[in-house]
Amino acid sequence: MTIMSEIRHAWIITVKEFRQLSRKKALMVPLFLFPIIMIIFFGYGMGGTVKNAPILIVNDDTGMASSSLVQEIGTYTSTYDGSPMFKVTYTKDMARAEAESKIDAGMYKAVLLIPHDYSDRLAKNEDVILTLLTDSSDTTTSGIIINFMIQLMSRSGPASLDVPNIYGNLEYLDFLTPAVIALTIFMGSVATTGSAIAGEKEDGTIVRILMTPVSRRSVILGKTLYQLILQIARAVILILAAYFLVGFHMNGSWLLVALVLVIFTLGGVGMGIVMSTRVDDMESFFQLNLLVTLPSMFVTGVFFPLSSVPNWMRYIAYCLPLTYANEAMRTIMIKGQGLSAISTDLIILSFFALITFGAGVHLFRREA
Amino acid sequence: MSNLEPIIEVKNLVKVFHSRGRTITAVDDVSFDVMEGEIFGMIGPNGAGKSTTFSMLTTLVKPSGGSIKVAGFDVYKQDDKIRPLIGIVPQKLSLYPDLTARENLELMGRLYDVPKDVMNEKIEYYLKLVGLSSHADRFTGGFSGGMKQRLSVICAVLHEPQIIFWDEPSTGLDPQTRQSIWKLAKKFNGEGKTLVFTTHYMEEADNLCDRVAVMNLGKMVALDSPESLKEKTGSSNLEETFINLTGEEVRD
Repeated sequence: MTIMSEIRHAWIITVKEFRQLSRKKALMVPLFLFPIIMIIFFGYGMGGTVKNAPILIVNDDTGMASSSLVQEIGTYTSTYDGSPMFKVTYTKDMARAEAESKIDAGMYKAVLLIPHDYSDRLAKNEDVILTLLTDSSDTTTSGIIINFMIQLMSRSGPASLDVPNIYGNLEYLDFLTPAVIALTIFMGSVATTGSAIAGEKEDGTIVRILMTPVSRRSVILGKTLYQLILQIARAVILILAAYFLVGFHMNGSWLLVALVLVIFTLGGVGMGIVMSTRVDDMESFFQLNLLVTLPSMFVTGVFFPLSSVPNWMRYIAYCLPLTYANEAMRTIMIKGQGLSAISTDLIILSFFALITFGAGVHLFRREA
Repeated sequence: MSNLEPIIEVKNLVKVFHSRGRTITAVDDVSFDVMEGEIFGMIGPNGAGKSTTFSMLTTLVKPSGGSIKVAGFDVYKQDDKIRPLIGIVPQKLSLYPDLTARENLELMGRLYDVPKDVMNEKIEYYLKLVGLSSHADRFTGGFSGGMKQRLSVICAVLHEPQIIFWDEPSTGLDPQTRQSIWKLAKKFNGEGKTLVFTTHYMEEADNLCDRVAVMNLGKMVALDSPESLKEKTGSSNLEETFINLTGEEVRD
């Protein structure tokens, strides 16, 4: 059997897989639409940006410094759609207790108290403490406001609003998108590979294929080619959707993104094959799939940064390959870093691919 | 029909399965030859080892011991030489439900490296032969059992194999379809192809086969023409002969 005929046979399998996919209209929704919906809903719903949040500024100071600070807060607009972040109400001589009651009543998301000696002390280069009261029942908004104020206060000179954000204006969508792509590719490659083989076992078609002169190597190669094309296509569609629909910023190399995704897809395909050899039908596969992929979705820091989870959860995350794919994708897409910054992630992902793919091929070849 | 040249040679064939700490000998020291151009049947109750033998003859499962030569090639080392020469009709009809009849056939033709123009000609010919021409572009998911069986058969012969292996050809089919399947089998045999069947149905073996191997509990208990088997056991039909040879106990 020559290499050319192996590749030709593999390609026959690839075409067959695509033809079957084209017949499964219902599968298109979870494959292509679902990740886009996820980005839109999570991105907006979980509140990356805050706009027109009502805040109250109690300014007891009459100096220049405080009035420029107040103005900066009032005119600050978020990057996505040009709406101001805050809807500011100004007042003075309000006691803290009264300010708190306004928050309790839901009138303001936050109250900033500027002391009467703010400008004086700044001029003398002395410490000055501003008080920020927030509506902590809305953790998302208050978190964003606190972050914003901390950044505002930590500026060096009083003249300009410098939000020191080393990766540009990082918003939740930017954080979410790279990981959702990795998650999508992971769940997609495992589920579609595994369920296809489990289905072929169920209706006996895989046996017929294996009885033809086509080698098992070619069958696996054909299925893998199909997955690589399919998953990369999904990633491209997802990235385009993120760019046009929610204004996602890409800071790094597309080539590196492709490299990470190809290696990760191979791992996912391998895992799908391994799982399919453990079951005899589609339904059992989906149960097993749930068990394997669902924890990855919640533990690996797709939706929240790993730095914010307890240690025990972080240890679990470090055992799951998706964690490293998330890390690599964010490092490339947000931080715009190169190969050296993701080398550890790539090595771990390559090991994952090697192990699952090797095991998958071995188990698949051994099975009748 | 048959010549006296063996096309399949099975010697001391053994297959042992290890499952959950238990060792099961599915096929236990079985030897037989299948002659070129004959219709050879393997019958036996459930668990007799027919299917396992079938899987080993078709290169799907490797034997634990003994040897099999198909068309002069060893199943151990030369399975890639054997596969293009044989056609297999699996017990599960094994058609892609989301592909049309024609697409299923084309897939098989391509995987067997049948040249495109030859393949298209053969697909038309065989679809007509089994009366499926008007259903060629329908998804097989909606086919009846009989239609699937007929399509499954022609999927196995597009590359004009020398030997056709056929696992339980008429299980679950109505009498009309069964008759047409038997006619098809005789037609292929008439073209010089060797046929190897497994079956539960004595009537099928009696009607079709030149010789029948009776298997029981992994061993071959008899091998002869249906007539001689009936004569030897003093039975009037093959069903009685079968019960005579394999016992009355129900197998699981």
